[in-house]
Amino acid sequence: MLAADLRAFYAAALKEWRIMRRYPTVFIGILFWPLILPGVYVLQANGFGAGDGQALHAFAARTGTLQVAGFLYVGGAIYMWLSVVLWGPGSALREEQTRGSLEQQFLTPVSRLVLLFGSAPAHLVQAFWMFLVIGIVLGTLFHVPIGAGTAVRALVVIAISVPAFLGLGALFAALVLRFKEVNGTVQLLRGVFQVLCGVTFPIVVLPLWAQAIAVTLPPTHVIADIRSVVLSGASLPSLAPDLLVLTGLSALMCVMAALVFQRCERDSRRNGALGQY
Amino acid sequence: MSAISSDVPAVEITDLVKTFTQGRRTLVQRVRHAPDQRRQHRAVDDLNLRVEAGEIFGVLGPNGAGKTTTLRILATLLEPTSGQARVLGLDVNERPREIRRRLGAVLAGERSLYWKLTGRENLEYYAALYHMPARQVKGRIAAILEDMELTDRADDYVERYSTGMRQRLILARALLPDPPLLMLDEPTVGLDPQAAHHLRERIVRLSKQGRTVLLTTHYMEEADQLCDRIAIIDHGRIVALGTPAELKRTVRAAQVVRLEAAVGSENGAFLDRLSSLATVARHDRVDGHMTATVHCQSAREFVPVAFDAAMAVGATIQHVEVIPVTLEDVFLALTGRALRE
Repeated sequence: MLAADLRAFYAAALKEWRIMRRYPTVFIGILFWPLILPGVYVLQANGFGAGDGQALHAFAARTGTLQVAGFLYVGGAIYMWLSVVLWGPGSALREEQTRGSLEQQFLTPVSRLVLLFGSAPAHLVQAFWMFLVIGIVLGTLFHVPIGAGTAVRALVVIAISVPAFLGLGALFAALVLRFKEVNGTVQLLRGVFQVLCGVTFPIVVLPLWAQAIAVTLPPTHVIADIRSVVLSGASLPSLAPDLLVLTGLSALMCVMAALVFQRCERDSRRNGALGQY
Repeated sequence: MSAISSDVPAVEITDLVKTFTQGRRTLVQRVRHAPDQRRQHRAVDDLNLRVEAGEIFGVLGPNGAGKTTTLRILATLLEPTSGQARVLGLDVNERPREIRRRLGAVLAGERSLYWKLTGRENLEYYAALYHMPARQVKGRIAAILEDMELTDRADDYVERYSTGMRQRLILARALLPDPPLLMLDEPTVGLDPQAAHHLRERIVRLSKQGRTVLLTTHYMEEADQLCDRIAIIDHGRIVALGTPAELKRTVRAAQVVRLEAAVGSENGAFLDRLSSLATVARHDRVDGHMTATVHCQSAREFVPVAFDAAMAVGATIQHVEVIPVTLEDVFLALTGRALRE
């Protein structure tokens, strides 16, 4: 049964990937945004404090690096990954619901977890494409030294973060099944994550209560760890405690997503909401 | 196809009830503890039904009668409020996954396909969801595509298919698990007459392969032509059950006469006279014109006396149509309403 479900998971990922690559403009968008979005903040930072040693030292004291562009681009990369995660599986599930194919899939014996997580690998490809673009931008335009070792360490951190983001996306997707709306909720969540996870600023500038919430959010840890690796050359063992916390949060997110999805499915079977949109 | 024992009915429903809450209760109403004005609507109301293995069984009824709700309960998409439903001998509440493994269902329309995938890719995806062993997938899909006459177009995107081809692909998808039981919800809706005719022929062929077919429809001709037995359902209840011939015999008429007459301002006298001659199943009167559906034993005897009756009260019969008894008349006789109302 597990082997059959794993094959179904592969088929779900392949299906999503095939559909995605048949709309190639998606990838053009991904080429454009990773370049532009953090670039705006870099220009803003230059406008506020470029050439001012005092401003730069204050920044370094709070962040541990003088690489303003690197700091902003890493934050931007994770933020965009988060956006892909929030839009992707949720929108995919919602699209399945409006199309009528979600109900058709519920008629098969496949594990519901396949339907919940199946679209995620295709969105991961999208995210890696984005990381590649940002890596090239940082290396060529801002001369941030990203050697092979740094890239591998960053990829390891990203790989450890995948379940957390997968869980986050799936949790959101499960809620979409219940509330049948994507846009408003995605915007709200993106706003919350942007403020609390330190996408464009160090979280030490937040009030203490906000920092307390921030440390419970997986993206905060991912952003901080990748910045440490890429900008400060941190080794993986030095990040181990943080990566452990991240792993715990990942497991929590995935379990919560599965439980919420299970609950939503049960409610849908009672009130007939599965086929309604 | 995994065989069903002939002793085990394909479907067995006992005292089935499905209730939905109608209306809304807003957040503001909840906060204010306003009285809950939502209604409980019984979409399926104490339904009892047994579909034998190997038959084509039709559930016929108007929109909103509870046909689709019943089918969705049997397909394990909905939980019944009370009562019991067994599919292929398995309880829908207790063993839904086993039922899904052995069930082929067409419940949604052509949009339930992935239009940016080819027909073959659509089937490959669902084959994986049905847990089909990898080594069987290619051959099984090729055979189904051949059977559905889709082989030539199997590698085209579904967006380039005609509506009839998409419907065939949907049926192909339902056949992937080689199901002993096929459930089809309004399978010919939206198809042109030729495509609908071909689909009906396919359904008959599938039945001849030993599959049980349970279908819902509101097309009486379809039910009449296809089904071994029919349950006529209205307001969630079965109002009649039997073979098409048995159901038609309940009308107690050999022929049906539809009349249109100019009755001017006469005050129901023509209708009274018609009623004394035969059973007026239905009549409508608009702006001095009356249409009536009359059940009689012999149109040859009834029509001349109907003309005499019209003449006697100053009405003029303008159109007469004599037709055999249909399932529409059965529904009309049982409920006083037409199927399409």
